[in-house]
Amino acid sequence: MTTLLSVEGVSKAFPGVKALDNVYLELRKGEVHVLLGENGAGKSTLMKILSGVYQADSGAIVYKGKPVQFKTATEALRAGIGIIYQELNLVPHLTVAQNIFIGKEPVKMGFTIDAARMNRDAVEILKRLNADIKPTALVKNIAVSKQQMVEVAKALSYNSDVLIMDEPTSALTEAEIEELFKVIKSLRAQGVGIIYISHRLEEIREIADRVTIFRDGQYVSTDDYGDLTLDEIVKRMVGREMAHKFPPKKHIPTDEVILEVRDVQRRGETEKASFTLHAGEILGVAGLMGAGRTELARAIFGADPKAGGEIFVNGARVTVDSPLDAIQAGIGYLSEDRKAYGLALNMRITDNITMAYLDEVSTRSGRILKHLEKGVSRRFVKSLDIKTPSISQVVKNLSGGNQQKVVIAKWLFRNARVLIFDEPTRGVDVGAKYAIYELMDGLAASGAGIIMISSELPEILGMSDRIMVMSQGRVAAIMNIEGATQEKILHHAAGLL
Amino acid sequence: MANEPLPAGTAMDDESARLLNADLLQKFAALAGLVALLVVFSLIARNFFTVDNLINICRQTTTIALAGIGVTFVIITGGIDLSIGSVLAMSGVVAGMLVKDWEWNVYVAFFAGALSGVFVGFLNGAMVNFLRLPPFIATLGMMMIARGLALLVTNARSIPGLPESFGDIGNGALGTTYRLNARGVEVIGFPGIPHAVILMAVLAVVFYYILSSTKLGRYIYAVGSNEEATRLSGINVVKVKFFAYMICGGFAALSGIVTMSRLVTVQPTAGVAFEMDAIASTVIGGTSLMGGVGGISGTIIGAFIIGVLRNGLNMFGVQGFVQQIIIGAVIILAVSVDQFRNRKK
Ligand SMILES: Nc1ncnc2c1ncn2[C@@H]1O[C@H](COP(=O)(O)OP(=O)(O)OP(=O)(O)O)[C@@H](O)[C@H]1O
Ligand SMILES: [Mg+2]
Repeated sequence: MTTLLSVEGVSKAFPGVKALDNVYLELRKGEVHVLLGENGAGKSTLMKILSGVYQADSGAIVYKGKPVQFKTATEALRAGIGIIYQELNLVPHLTVAQNIFIGKEPVKMGFTIDAARMNRDAVEILKRLNADIKPTALVKNIAVSKQQMVEVAKALSYNSDVLIMDEPTSALTEAEIEELFKVIKSLRAQGVGIIYISHRLEEIREIADRVTIFRDGQYVSTDDYGDLTLDEIVKRMVGREMAHKFPPKKHIPTDEVILEVRDVQRRGETEKASFTLHAGEILGVAGLMGAGRTELARAIFGADPKAGGEIFVNGARVTVDSPLDAIQAGIGYLSEDRKAYGLALNMRITDNITMAYLDEVSTRSGRILKHLEKGVSRRFVKSLDIKTPSISQVVKNLSGGNQQKVVIAKWLFRNARVLIFDEPTRGVDVGAKYAIYELMDGLAASGAGIIMISSELPEILGMSDRIMVMSQGRVAAIMNIEGATQEKILHHAAGLL
Repeated sequence: MANEPLPAGTAMDDESARLLNADLLQKFAALAGLVALLVVFSLIARNFFTVDNLINICRQTTTIALAGIGVTFVIITGGIDLSIGSVLAMSGVVAGMLVKDWEWNVYVAFFAGALSGVFVGFLNGAMVNFLRLPPFIATLGMMMIARGLALLVTNARSIPGLPESFGDIGNGALGTTYRLNARGVEVIGFPGIPHAVILMAVLAVVFYYILSSTKLGRYIYAVGSNEEATRLSGINVVKVKFFAYMICGGFAALSGIVTMSRLVTVQPTAGVAFEMDAIASTVIGGTSLMGGVGGISGTIIGAFIIGVLRNGLNMFGVQGFVQQIIIGAVIILAVSVDQFRNRKK
């Protein structure tokens, strides 16, 4: 097979961080090349160099036999390198079709946009993805998973020779992932070279041809996927043996009801939901994307107005009309969308960690005790292994997974006794996943109650004591972990039971 | 910073990390610009770098700096306040009328004038928080309302004949020394530090501290950086914004009191478009109109850049209109330098 693109000894440094240190990558025509590595390994940085967003400090990129150095993303796109970034890059106020064809709108009479043709072409591309999305819908009004599909459609519309996908599935449903994989396979058959980045190691089995692994900005290895075991991959990623995916359970659920939710409803989004959560328990919440899990969680947390219902914490009724009420009652909520709802991106790690609990590090009069604050941040940066040159780093500059850890640190510091984790391991590498699981286990062991919303069934099955399945806005089932299976959960989730 | 990049994950101590802070770089650039201006003017104008003139510059800069401090709070939350110039006039009118028509004590009247600004800020905050108006619109409306009120109650006429003590803040100075000249007449030696400048300096320090070291300050940045994430962290975003607009209104009013006190006359037409000076000083000092980034020290530097430019250009007899052109160019230059640096990173 012919080499399409090769990365030869590329290095890139940011202030205080050597993001890439002499790395290699060879992409052939018609292959799916999976790039793996822990959070902060430099995967996204390399992709941004390939697509012209950043320039390499040293090293060479050879594309179709010629050395290239793209100065802008447009240049790379024109040359045939398409990319789906880790973060969504859509214009919320434009329609789906307008987003797909942004920058290359079909025109008639030389200057007016041919909207009809654009919508037709958009339908065409979306059909290839089997995505049920109206081309005239505004992007801000469609679900995150649909937005992700629009990103994919946008990249496809360029008919690129190289397609880079940086964690494209982190917000997709199982069904959508299936569709995406079909598309990937057909592109591969057409000779497109695909670089695929993901932290979901199970899913790559279906598409991976070869695997390259980075660790801490350095090149580790490239192999045929068939020559590697999952354990071997993990070992190379984290640099040590990892025998188990889930930590041994230390926590034991108690009889003490720490949270009771009675008939809480979010008008138009969910039906009335009632459930209990015990101290020392992890309640897994499964369901398909759009089942109303996040909506219910946000209503409980007071982030959105409730249509009714009551909430009891430790047996006492609490009024939760705002996040502040919830936090004061001891409830914390870790959003699934960290950029929009979890982080102040322009602020430092320290500021973000202490944001929800500045009282703890300030005097009565409101003066922040900076040495205390720093101590707290250092503690969490260390215990969660957040990779950063300093606690004063601006959160924007952290890799995706490390940003997630900062949000977790915020709620850990807040000492919430009822914690709602909404997709806590999305975009988090295996090693860090394990650390987060350990953290959740430890929190439960110390008497906290945890609600874990997750779209990854292995995670639900591996961590929960009980499982609540939601389907189309209602609680479809609550079951004990004993006897719960993937099939059972999926059945309930699909509304078949 | 060392040129040699550190290996991934190497701990760098906090101080050097902070030096990388774009905020500081921006401040450094602005400060360098200010120093350059001082040097250039001193070299070409003999009577520029004199004690008298430097004190003069401080006095002239005070009103911009005061309003700039206030609007910095609002801008960091991601908002804007266009009502500053009108509040400046309105607060002066309030103080002047209380003194003249109601024979209030001058200082009590000043205090009431300042409170009137805080109250306007409260209204601005209410519109932004509860009516969910974009700050631009809310304060644009308030700009017209406050100006209209000031003109209405005064019949658009100035209020002269105020007691001498009305001019204390604007004209008084601390530490004035006198000496006898050659003919044995007592003349002023050191002109003293103007009261207004002392007021501004003290408030600058206090509010610098509030913004950089208190919970309120932190929340101001947080709201500007990501309002929703801030709300979900249990912070009362409504309250934070109220504070920002009230602080801004209060400072605009103080700026008005200083202005009117200097004239010992209340001018209901004073301060038209003055908010633009305040916003300019903030922006030159590196505060981002997008919110979340900036600070008081930058604003003070920005205010002085404007003050020094005006003073220096005046000294050369540069026409007012030409001054405007130059200051406009400086604003554009300052912010483009900032943008350029951000892009290069
Ligand atoms: N603009 C930037 N400024 C400073 N540091 C940066 C910047 N972008 C990335 N980094 C740093 O470079 C390193 C590599 O980041 P990168 O985003 O490439 O990681 P990644 O492998 O994609 O991780 P993840 O799986 O978490 O997305 C990280 O330590 C990150 O903090
Ligand atoms: Mg990444």
